[in-house]
Amino acid sequence: MAIIELVNATRTYELGEVKTHALNGVSLMFEPGEFTALVGPSGSGKTTLLQLIGCLDRPDGGTVKINGQDVSRFSANQRADLRRKEIGFVFQFFALVPVLSAYENVELPLLLSNVKTQERKERVTELLKAVGLSDRAKHRPDQLSGGEQQRVAIARALAPRPLMILADEPTANLDTENGKQAMDIMQRLNQETGTAFIFATHDPRVVAYARRVVKLRDGRVDSNGASA
Amino acid sequence: MPLSKLWTIAYRDLGRHRRRSIFTLLAVGLGLGLLLVMDGLISGVVADSLANSIRLRTGHVQLRADSFQEDQLSLQAKDLLANPDELAAKAKELSEVKAAAPVLWSSVILNTIDQSAGLQLMGIDTTSALYDPIRSGVTAGEWLSPDDRDGILIGRVLAEELGVSAGQKVNLTVVNSDGRPDEGTFTIRGLFSTGIPGYDQSAVFMPLDKAQAFTGSSGRASLVMILLNNQNDANKVAAALSAPGVAALTWSDLNKFFVETMGTAMSFYVILDFIVILIVAVIIVNTLLMSVFERVREMGILAALGMKGRQIRVMFLLEAATLALIGIAVGLIIGAAGVWYLATTGIPIGDKMAAVAGSNFALSATMYGRFEPISFLNLSLATLIVVVLASLYPAFYASRLEPIKALHEQ
Repeated sequence: MAIIELVNATRTYELGEVKTHALNGVSLMFEPGEFTALVGPSGSGKTTLLQLIGCLDRPDGGTVKINGQDVSRFSANQRADLRRKEIGFVFQFFALVPVLSAYENVELPLLLSNVKTQERKERVTELLKAVGLSDRAKHRPDQLSGGEQQRVAIARALAPRPLMILADEPTANLDTENGKQAMDIMQRLNQETGTAFIFATHDPRVVAYARRVVKLRDGRVDSNGASA
Repeated sequence: MPLSKLWTIAYRDLGRHRRRSIFTLLAVGLGLGLLLVMDGLISGVVADSLANSIRLRTGHVQLRADSFQEDQLSLQAKDLLANPDELAAKAKELSEVKAAAPVLWSSVILNTIDQSAGLQLMGIDTTSALYDPIRSGVTAGEWLSPDDRDGILIGRVLAEELGVSAGQKVNLTVVNSDGRPDEGTFTIRGLFSTGIPGYDQSAVFMPLDKAQAFTGSSGRASLVMILLNNQNDANKVAAALSAPGVAALTWSDLNKFFVETMGTAMSFYVILDFIVILIVAVIIVNTLLMSVFERVREMGILAALGMKGRQIRVMFLLEAATLALIGIAVGLIIGAAGVWYLATTGIPIGDKMAAVAGSNFALSATMYGRFEPISFLNLSLATLIVVVLASLYPAFYASRLEPIKALHEQ
């Protein structure tokens, strides 16, 4: 069964009297464990699509279903619950909480889900090891390099064992080496955990990692991207 | 999410802008400290003045003829007590009573060679414990003996103003009970100082027998003054001693003007309290709003991770409460130090300034503060509550940010 199903989803932004159709009747399905790249030029609707899937925004029309549930009509609290349990995010700007250490940042989603102390400790230790940052656990974001911060963000996204991880331009702020390292880690964790990864990107080197590529243009699906 | 973890984020955030946080909590501390010091000073002055008034002017209970008017100091027989000794003896039988004695009050004019002053004559039982404070405050000469026929006692402040000293003779003029003027020459037996310049300036003491003879009020008295072991027993004692034609007034009746005036003054003071606390609250709100505006994207991240609006609100309220609590601790230290200084050293205002307060306000020449635990508690709680209430706005603002907009904030 598809974990994500969009049927004729539309999203329009109004800026004064100007209307921008960011998504215009998008229908897509995503299966568990996918490693999918959303590609397309700026303004094609990649980020908007991720925001709808990530329950950060709601469509104006059509439906978005996560695990069979139509989330378009969920309340703010229901969407927050769903994000906490099922969706991990990796942002272009790393998005760590600056006053928390790497360990505490990874622990945060587990605290939000009231995971018990011992289990939390084991999970955070395991994830920091998986992203190669065991020795940086006590460092705060401003003491970490961009690549390290993004690896902490990946570990944090995986912490609650979500159904999917949504990454918006995850390598855009990283140099080639760190970008490759981040993608290698995401690919490995996708294979090891079975968590679906969907990432929006411009970077052809990132696209090369994807097993499926969905092309968007002017808010429409240009190519559904059968799994490679 | 455990509250302790939300608090961890909240208090660490205060460390991000240390200087701003320190200035904010100093504002809370100074505001609260100022209020505590002012409150301690006013409470001290009010309590001190009331205690002085009871100690020197009113006692805890007074028995008077129904028709007696304090402001007229009438010597007419109908306005005086006919059996003051009996009433005083009856009062002394009560276990709550520490001392009781008849007093005769009258207006007199004291004349020296070149000056005169209008005073209140007090014919007193010089052996009574009622006058211990004055007896112990004799600064020159000696205390009056009961059978002294021409001795008087005046205040040091008055003596200085009139340029007289112990041992000198002065004239007293009175309008006696028959309405005729009478005059006598008296010797200043001693000078007293109660520490209340207004009182020392206006009173002249004379043994009761002599005062009765001088004013033609033989055997009568203006009132019986009663001092209690515990002032809370005043109503009980007044009820026990009231009789037909005799009014029994308690210290709260007798200091009504003072108590009511102070009550009005205190209500203005509460407004001042409120204004200062409001200013402190505005400072806290400003700090929190700045913190919210700086952390909009962070709120977006927390929301994306699944943190609910309620938890974001709690986080900001904890931040405000932390600022308030540390500020309150600073304020309590400042307040306690200030009140301690005022209670031990006080603020000398000088005899003349104290005398300006008049006879209804028994103001001491040094204003002392008083430590009022209840005011420390009330003001601290009020500060905490007002700050937390004022923080609701920034907290709600933060919790209602749209995650999608917040994430795109630069």
